[in-house]
Amino acid sequence: MPSTQVPPIAGAAIDPPSLRPPIDDAAIERVAPSELRARLEALKAGGYAMLLDLGAVDYLGRAPRFDVVYHLLALAAKVATVAEIATPARVRILCGVDEGQSLPTVSDVWKSADWAEREVYDLFGIPFDGHPDLRRIQMPHDWAGHPLRKDYPMRGPALERAPRPAFANKTNVVAGSPPSGRTLEALQEQVKRVREGRP
Amino acid sequence: MTMSATPPPEIIAQTENTMVLSMGPQHPSTHGVLQIVLEIDSENVVKADPEIGYLHTGIEKSAEGLFWTQAQTVIERMDYLAPSSNALCYALAVEKLLGITDGIPERAQTIRVLIGELTRIASHCVWLGTHGIDLGAISIFFYCFDLRENILDLQEAVGGARMHPNYVRVGGLNGDLPEGYLARLDALIEKIPGRMRELRGLLQANPIFQDRTIDIGMLTPEEALQWSVTGPSLRASGVAYDVRKAFPYCGYQTYDFEIPTRPEGDAYARFLVRLDEMDQSIRLIEQARRRLDKPGPVMIDDPKVALPPKETIALSMEALIHHFKLISEGFRVPPGDVYQSVESPRGELGYYVVSNGENKPYRIRTRPPSMYNLQALKGIAPGNLIADLVVMIGSLDPVFGEVDR
Repeated sequence: MPSTQVPPIAGAAIDPPSLRPPIDDAAIERVAPSELRARLEALKAGGYAMLLDLGAVDYLGRAPRFDVVYHLLALAAKVATVAEIATPARVRILCGVDEGQSLPTVSDVWKSADWAEREVYDLFGIPFDGHPDLRRIQMPHDWAGHPLRKDYPMRGPALERAPRPAFANKTNVVAGSPPSGRTLEALQEQVKRVREGRP
Repeated sequence: MTMSATPPPEIIAQTENTMVLSMGPQHPSTHGVLQIVLEIDSENVVKADPEIGYLHTGIEKSAEGLFWTQAQTVIERMDYLAPSSNALCYALAVEKLLGITDGIPERAQTIRVLIGELTRIASHCVWLGTHGIDLGAISIFFYCFDLRENILDLQEAVGGARMHPNYVRVGGLNGDLPEGYLARLDALIEKIPGRMRELRGLLQANPIFQDRTIDIGMLTPEEALQWSVTGPSLRASGVAYDVRKAFPYCGYQTYDFEIPTRPEGDAYARFLVRLDEMDQSIRLIEQARRRLDKPGPVMIDDPKVALPPKETIALSMEALIHHFKLISEGFRVPPGDVYQSVESPRGELGYYVVSNGENKPYRIRTRPPSMYNLQALKGIAPGNLIADLVVMIGSLDPVFGEVDR
């Protein structure tokens, strides 16, 4: 009986979306960074009022290296019943972007793109031109590196431990005599005396 | 990796009339670790900037290093109040990539609906209890957690763990319902309607609760769509978008249920929508319960993804091989990408899953409903009192395991 495992496909990491079996989840479009904003604005004017999600994928070894993925939903911005909404159309925009390149922001088109773009910037290092507040969002503000990149180690970098803050250093251990007058040496001397049976 | 150490950014600058106040991240009414940097003019909020990330645990990164089945355990930890919704959405996405969506047994689909709706009630119980406590209504918390406790008992019965049962698997379920489960479920179905009447009775017509929530945190349909708000918060603004109706999964189209909406768009409308949603969940649970009398398989009959029955392993060499292969290296998923969403208690939960043909996911991007809902706080908070901010956070129902992932 042959193995039922699907054999791995060489080079599949280059562009999985192009190899995908027919799945009816959304219409897929690939757009160049220069046309991205115009295309997204046109889609919004055409009824795709909701930006469902904005994320990124790192295809290390491919050029361009990253895909920024926009999921749009065609929902009208008005009070509507289930029957009126029916099954809204979904479209997925893939935009390839290389390391060091930036993309235009859409946070002025959809307010919700604000945090999503910050997250892509934080975890992948893709900057967005014109974003009003491009800061790290998930990682600490002084973090080095972008964790969701494929060349970022799974368990994080081996960082040096930060030095203890000054207030955590106990004065009676570090130097000088403590208020009680019992220094470390005095304690050791006392223990020695007891062990040797001296008074 | 060339980021240099930078000083903490100035998030909000204060002006002559206003001052900056940091609320959280250790504030009891922020429902987790949320910090909100506020610019305030006396007690009025001029600008609110939620700071998230305090609970960032790198779940998406961890999942890339695990087998397809193992990744499910970390994914369940995102929305810890509704773990089965996460597991279900992920399983549906992987099943689509595998092309086995049509092969999932009917009984497994029914139990998935049942588990999903029980989870919804349990999650809304936590929301209602804590929302009440935020506003000083202490007693409702105990009624809610009593009901949630009963649901967690059922969760423990199917999966062995109260919080994260890991019961929904790629290809079906971990196992059939245990003996005596249906009797306990029947007892719970008997209990819930009365308990729901008590919950409504405690708050719905309470004048203090109404004063605190009516006309607070107004969200128009246009704004809700601008902020990508989904779930009960969107439906309280009048847009009846529910993934269970718009993109049915697990056979939701064969159930008879309604999508409650309210046109007002304030915190009280969100409260009413969630309560009505719990009633609809009970309807769904009753319908699913009636379909469960008929026994049947709960896992797909495909040795590529499903573990062989334990008793066949000693008798059949193929079963032994499949078992060994699935445990030691997992199954491979054909290359491709897919977006799958479900209606989690908080809104549209989506997974954008990319496979490169290996036995581990290449990338799992979550569409976190809590994060988008919480972001709307930036739009609805200005102009309100600080005390009302607490109401707004509660009415948006964020879960920080999911916001920060």
